[in-house]
Amino acid sequence: MAVLKIDNLYKSFGGVKAIRDFSLTADRGEIHGIIGPNGAGKTTIFNVISGIYPPDSGKISMNGKDITHLEQHQIALAGMGRTFQNIRLFKGLSVLDNVMCAFDPRSKYGVAGSLAPLPGRFREEKRGREFCMHFLQMVGLEKQAHEHPEGMSYGHRRRLEIARALACEPTVLLLDEPAAGLNPMEVGGLTQLILKLSNEFNFAILLIEHRLELVMNISQIIHVQNFGKTIAVGKPSEVRNDPQVIEAYLGKEDG
Amino acid sequence: MSLYSHILTQILITVVSVSGVFVLTGMTGMFSLGQAAFMAIGAYTSGILVTKLAMPIIVAWPAAVLLAVLVGLIVGLPTVRLRRDYISLVTLGFGEAITALLNRATTITGGASGLTGIPKRTTLLIAFVSAAAVVTLISFFKSSKYGRQCIAVRSDELAAKSMGINVPRVKMIAFLISVAVTAYGGCLYAFYTAYVDPTLFGWQRSAEWIIMVFFGGVNSLTGSILSTFVLSGLPEVLRFLQSYRAIIYAVLVLLVINFRPSGMLGEWELTPKHIKRLFKRPKGARAQEVD
Repeated sequence: MAVLKIDNLYKSFGGVKAIRDFSLTADRGEIHGIIGPNGAGKTTIFNVISGIYPPDSGKISMNGKDITHLEQHQIALAGMGRTFQNIRLFKGLSVLDNVMCAFDPRSKYGVAGSLAPLPGRFREEKRGREFCMHFLQMVGLEKQAHEHPEGMSYGHRRRLEIARALACEPTVLLLDEPAAGLNPMEVGGLTQLILKLSNEFNFAILLIEHRLELVMNISQIIHVQNFGKTIAVGKPSEVRNDPQVIEAYLGKEDG
Repeated sequence: MSLYSHILTQILITVVSVSGVFVLTGMTGMFSLGQAAFMAIGAYTSGILVTKLAMPIIVAWPAAVLLAVLVGLIVGLPTVRLRRDYISLVTLGFGEAITALLNRATTITGGASGLTGIPKRTTLLIAFVSAAAVVTLISFFKSSKYGRQCIAVRSDELAAKSMGINVPRVKMIAFLISVAVTAYGGCLYAFYTAYVDPTLFGWQRSAEWIIMVFFGGVNSLTGSILSTFVLSGLPEVLRFLQSYRAIIYAVLVLLVINFRPSGMLGEWELTPKHIKRLFKRPKGARAQEVD
């Protein structure tokens, strides 16, 4: 059964048709790349899937459950984790606490335990710390757990965002340009990381990326977007030679 | 009672209220310009229950805090879903409405001439124990799951939602905790001054508390406490300068905002560990002595 099924999604902002008839079906263990020129509506797709804006029409279901009209936090709790194109970490919280925030909505103690040192609180906090440290280890940030993210390098902050998304225990992981701003060596490390996570957690990954070498290498299926429309879908080798894709990226040859 | 213990008691009562504002404004990033109205609800309710209905304090104070929380729930329900800047407007309107109500309901509240005859029960010790207890609770809260979620909401609401954080719920919890604490501050206040009138609880007082939180450091509870001592102690210490006090106060606030935009302590918390380290001699110094 598909973990994520998007049917005929539409979204416009005023006169701008940001998404026109987008459909996608993703299974566990799959990596779907979404590429396209700037302004093609890629991030809007993520924002609609994760519930930031409601779609104009269409249906999104995850693990067989209709999530189209759920609120953003309900979608996250239903099993969707995401990162942001312009890194959005929580200022004022340590690296570990940033990840803990994704665990906290599922932590089992209440307001009383928050105000007083009740036994349940310590048990849950300990469980949360171990849970989150595990993800920090996976992305290689366990040594920085008690630092503040503001002082970290761009690459590390990107990795921290991934760790935070993993702590949502997602069955669908949305990565919005995870390689933006990274140097070629970091991109290599990131590629390895994404493959490792895909193997380990067996979730579906949707990946928006401008760096074609990264997307083409690790995605099983590529969706090419232009002006809100899907102009090609298929294996990387098929998409690469599609005349419409070449036109969208390189422009049309005159005469 | 000596002047110093009088000043200290008043400062400690303010510490209680400012701790509540710290949760709301410092941690969660919500600005309530009607926060003092919840202090009024605490002060008036406890005062009226004791003077008019002869209730014992042990019942009247919790009842006052409970009523404030109920009112907070009603004010909060529509507000926590609003954009951040609207919250200040709604709470401002609410606060002024409460003040107007207190002025008009003469038979119960004494109107503009105030509520008199409240027994004087808040001692320096009670104020100190209360402030210490409230600060301890809030520091537990800050390091709890809701504390982290509050800070996450302040920092980036959209990202917080994407991590599964129920933002209106977190805001509501922060709001109600701050309301309860501020209302308790009101009980302490009424039973200290033995007299309350509506002018004490206008928006200026709410604004003053917000300044204290910002002056101390947006994410630092100890900073807020320190700044409460500095900013409410200063006008008392500088009493001999008469009206120039206001200028010194303003200059001080401007200096901090200009040179330390995140407040005196910023994100930093003063913990018992730091205090211990302060009294320990540095290791280097000891090694030199051995030589």
